[in-house]
Amino acid sequence: MEEKNIVLSAKDVVVKFHVRDRVLTAIRKVSLDLYDGETLAIVGESGSGKSVFTKTFTGMLESNGWVDNGEIMFEGKNLLENKKNRDWEKVRGAKIATIFQDPMSSLNPIKTIGSQITEVVMKHQGKTKAEAKEIAIDMMDRVGIPNAADRFDEYPFQYSGGMRQRIVIAIALACRPKILICDEPTTALDVTIQAQILKLIKDLQKEYGFTTVFITHDLGVVANMADRVAVMYGGQIIEYGTVEDIFYNPKHPYTWALLSSLPQIGVKGEELYSIAGTPPSLFNEIKGDAFAPRNPHAMKIDFEEEPPFFQISPTHYAKTWLLDPRAPKIEPPHEIKVLHQRMVEMTSKGGAFYVE
Amino acid sequence: MKRYVLERIIRSLFSIFCVVTIAMFLVYSQIDRNNVFKEDQAVLKLKGQPDAYLNYRYSVWETLGYLDYMTQRDACTLEYDVNSKEFTSCLEIGSPEAAALGEQYKAKGYSVEPTPESGALWFTRDYTLVERIVRFYSGLINIDNPYAVQDANNPDLERKIYFGNDLAGKPALKCSGCEHKYLIYFNSDFPFIHQNIVTFDLGTSYPAYKNQAVTDVMSLRQGSAVKETVTFETGLTLDTSILDHTCTYKEVLDQLDSNKFVDNYANCLTNMAEDSMMSVSIKMGLMAVAIGYGLGIPVGMLMARRKGKLADKLGQAYIVIMISIPSLAYISFFRYLGTQYMGLPGKYPELGGADWRSWVLPVISLALPQIAGLMMWTRRYMVDQSSSDYVKFARAKGLSESEIFSRHILKNAIIPIAQGIPGSIIGCINGAIITESLYAVSGMGKLLPNSIKGFNNSMVIALTFFFTFLSVFSLLLGDLLVTVIDPRISLATSKKGGRK
Ligand SMILES: Nc1ncnc2c1ncn2[C@@H]1O[C@H](COP(=O)(O)OP(=O)(O)OP(=O)(O)O)[C@@H](O)[C@H]1O
Ligand SMILES: [Mg+2]
Repeated sequence: MEEKNIVLSAKDVVVKFHVRDRVLTAIRKVSLDLYDGETLAIVGESGSGKSVFTKTFTGMLESNGWVDNGEIMFEGKNLLENKKNRDWEKVRGAKIATIFQDPMSSLNPIKTIGSQITEVVMKHQGKTKAEAKEIAIDMMDRVGIPNAADRFDEYPFQYSGGMRQRIVIAIALACRPKILICDEPTTALDVTIQAQILKLIKDLQKEYGFTTVFITHDLGVVANMADRVAVMYGGQIIEYGTVEDIFYNPKHPYTWALLSSLPQIGVKGEELYSIAGTPPSLFNEIKGDAFAPRNPHAMKIDFEEEPPFFQISPTHYAKTWLLDPRAPKIEPPHEIKVLHQRMVEMTSKGGAFYVE
Repeated sequence: MKRYVLERIIRSLFSIFCVVTIAMFLVYSQIDRNNVFKEDQAVLKLKGQPDAYLNYRYSVWETLGYLDYMTQRDACTLEYDVNSKEFTSCLEIGSPEAAALGEQYKAKGYSVEPTPESGALWFTRDYTLVERIVRFYSGLINIDNPYAVQDANNPDLERKIYFGNDLAGKPALKCSGCEHKYLIYFNSDFPFIHQNIVTFDLGTSYPAYKNQAVTDVMSLRQGSAVKETVTFETGLTLDTSILDHTCTYKEVLDQLDSNKFVDNYANCLTNMAEDSMMSVSIKMGLMAVAIGYGLGIPVGMLMARRKGKLADKLGQAYIVIMISIPSLAYISFFRYLGTQYMGLPGKYPELGGADWRSWVLPVISLALPQIAGLMMWTRRYMVDQSSSDYVKFARAKGLSESEIFSRHILKNAIIPIAQGIPGSIIGCINGAIITESLYAVSGMGKLLPNSIKGFNNSMVIALTFFFTFLSVFSLLLGDLLVTVIDPRISLATSKKGGRK
C-alpha cells in the first residue's frame, strides 16, 4: 500500500455554508490522500460531512457553500483554483465521476438511456455520435445490460432499479475517470441487487484500475469493498487506516461507538447500542475534541484542546487524546473485541455480506 | 391507445351529458317560463288580443322546446285529409269531430281548452325533462343527404351529388335534393375549405336574435350587408349580398327568386361586413395565445436561469402585478395609454375588424395576463426540475449549465405546459367577456351572460353544451399531446410501465 501513488491529496479543507444569515462550518480542516486504484470507504453518522467533503473534489457544493481554505491536488494542479465552471466541467465525469444516493432518479426520465450515455462521451472525448453510440453500447454490455444494442433507445422507465443503477455506473465510467465517488450508491436498492452492483463496481475497478471513494453506512459494504476506511465526525476525519486497522484495532472512542451501533454487529435479541447525545452544532466553534460531550471516557483535556493525529501504525492514525502517552489506558467496549469474530462470520461464504 | 382514447371519449361525452342535463333541469324547471317574454316587444303589442296573445306565447314556448302546442286547425290537419268533409267540419267550433279530438288528446295527457275569444280548441302538453333531453340530442346532428328535402309540390326534384362550380367559378361539391345546395366549397375565409354536410342544431335563439339558429348567431357574419357583383345561374347580373354557399331549399319561390335561381335553392344568407362572433373571438384569442406563449415561455425560462437575479425579480414583480390587480383595472390602463399616446382606437367598431389597429389593444389586453401566467408556470416547472436528482447527476457528468438546461430541464418542464396548449387554443372560442365588452368587440364573450340576463334559455343550454364540449375535449387533446412528447405515458395498456 505504501508504494502506491497518490492520485488526489486534500489538505486542510474547510467548507462553510451560508444558512440564512449564519455561517455553518461543515468541514473543519480535513486532509486526506487517495491512492491510485484503492477503495476508500468514508463512514460516519449522518451529517458528519461525508458528502460535502467529497463534493469539493468536483466543485459540486450547493450555491450557498464554499471552500474557505485548503487545497486539493489532482494531476499536479490545485483543483480549488478552478474558478470557472468550464474548468470543473473538464474534471467532472471525465476525471472524477460521482454516483449519487438515489440511482432511480439520477436518470432523466424522458431521455433515452443511450443518449444519456453518449452525451458524456461526446462531451469529454469529442467523439461523433456514431462512435459514442458504439462506446455506449460496449459500456452497457460491460455493466451487464442484456441486448444492449436493442435497449439503447429505451427509456429509464423501461429499466428496473438495478439496471438503472448499472446505467448510472456505465455513464460514470464511460470516460474512464481516475476516481469514482459513490455516495451511498446502493442504499435505495434491495439486498440482492446491492450485492450485484457492488460486485460490478469491484470487477470494473479491477479492469480499469480507478480509485473508488465509497460513502456508506453499511459495514458489510465496507468490509467487502474497502481497502482503507476514514471515519468522520462533526466535519472532521477522526480516524483512518486499513479495514483491518479500523475493524480490529479501532482507537477513537467515536469509532468504537460507531462500530457498536451498526446494526450488523448486533446479536439477535440484544438491544442495539446507540450513541447517546447529539452531534455538535456546526454553527458554533468547536473546542477540544468534537466527540467529548458524548464520550463516556472523556478527559478534561478533551474539552479544552483539539487532539492531534497520533500514529498507531504506518497506515493507521487516530485523532484522540487517549493515544497520548500520558492518558490512562482505556479498554475498548466488549462489542469491539468480538467484532473480529462477527465480521469473519458475516463475510465468509454463506454469511450475509459475502461477496465473491 | 385506441382503447384508451375511446374510453376517454365516452367518459367525456358522459360528463357533457351530465352538465347539460343539470343545466336543462335548472333552466327549464327553475326559471319561470313567462320570463322569456320580458325582453320581447312583440308580445306586448298583442296584449289586447287574447287569442293572438295566447297563440304567440305558446308558439314561442313550443319553439323553445317547453311544450307541444297545437291549434284546433293543427290537430285537425294531423287527423284528417285536408280535402275531406270531416276536415272542414273539424275546423268548426264545437263540431263533434273537434270534440272527439279534444277527448283523444286529453287521454294523451294534453290540456285542451277553448281560446278566450273564438272558443276554438287549443292543445298543449309540457315536455318532461327526459323528453326535452332526448329531443335536444336527437336533433343535434344533421347529416345532409339527397333525400333530405321532401317537397310534395316538387315530386320531380332530382336527387344527386355532383361536382360543379360556385357563382365565383370555384369548384364545389353540390347537391340536389339535399337541404344545402353546396356540400363542400372553398373561399378565402379560414380554414378555406368548408362543408355543409354535417350541421349542428343547438336550438333557436329567443328573444335576442329572434328565431335564428343558435349556431348561426355564433358563426354568421355580422354588421351591415356588403354587396358584390354576381352573375347568377340564370344569367342575371346583380349587385347583391347573397352568399351562394349558404343557399338552402325553399319550397315556395317568388318572382324575385325565379329571376336569380334556376332551382329551389333560394333561401340564402346575406354577406355582412364584420366577422362572426366566433371568428372575432377566435382570431383575437389566437393572437393573444401566440403572444402569450411566444413571450411567456422564453421569459419564464430566462427567469428560471437567472433565478434570484434582477431579471427574475422584475419578472416576478410583473407576475404579481398581473395577478393581484383586477383585470378591468389594467385593461383600462392600457386602453388609456393606447388611445391617448398611440392613437389607437378605444373601441373595436370605430375602425372595424378590417383595420389592424382595431385589434391591437384588445389583443394586448388578452395577452398580458397570459404572458404572466406562462412566465410563472414555466419558471416554476424549470426551477422544480433544476433541483431534481437527474440534473445533479448531469452536472456530475460534466455537462455545462446551458447543456443541462437545453438538453435536460427544458423538455421536462415543457411537458406540463404543453398539456394546456389545446385548452388555450380552443378556449379562444369562448371569448373574453371583460376585454370584449370594454372594447365593444362583438365576440362570443358576452353571449352567455347576456343570454342568462335576457332569458334566452335555449341559448344558455346551447352554450353550456358547446363550452362544456370544448373544454372536455381540450383536456383530452392536451393529454393526447402529452403522450406524444412524454415517452413515459404510452396510452396502450402495455406490460412495461405505462398507464393502466
Ligand atoms: N447546502 C447546504 N446548506 C447548508 N448546510 C449544508 C448544506 N449541505 C450540507 N450541509 C450541512 O453540512 C453537514 C454535512 O452534510 P453532509 O451532507 O456532508 O452529511 P453526510 O455525512 O453526507 O450525511 P448523510 O449520511 O446523511 O448523507 C450537515 O450538517 C448539513 O446540514
Ligand atoms: Mg451524504
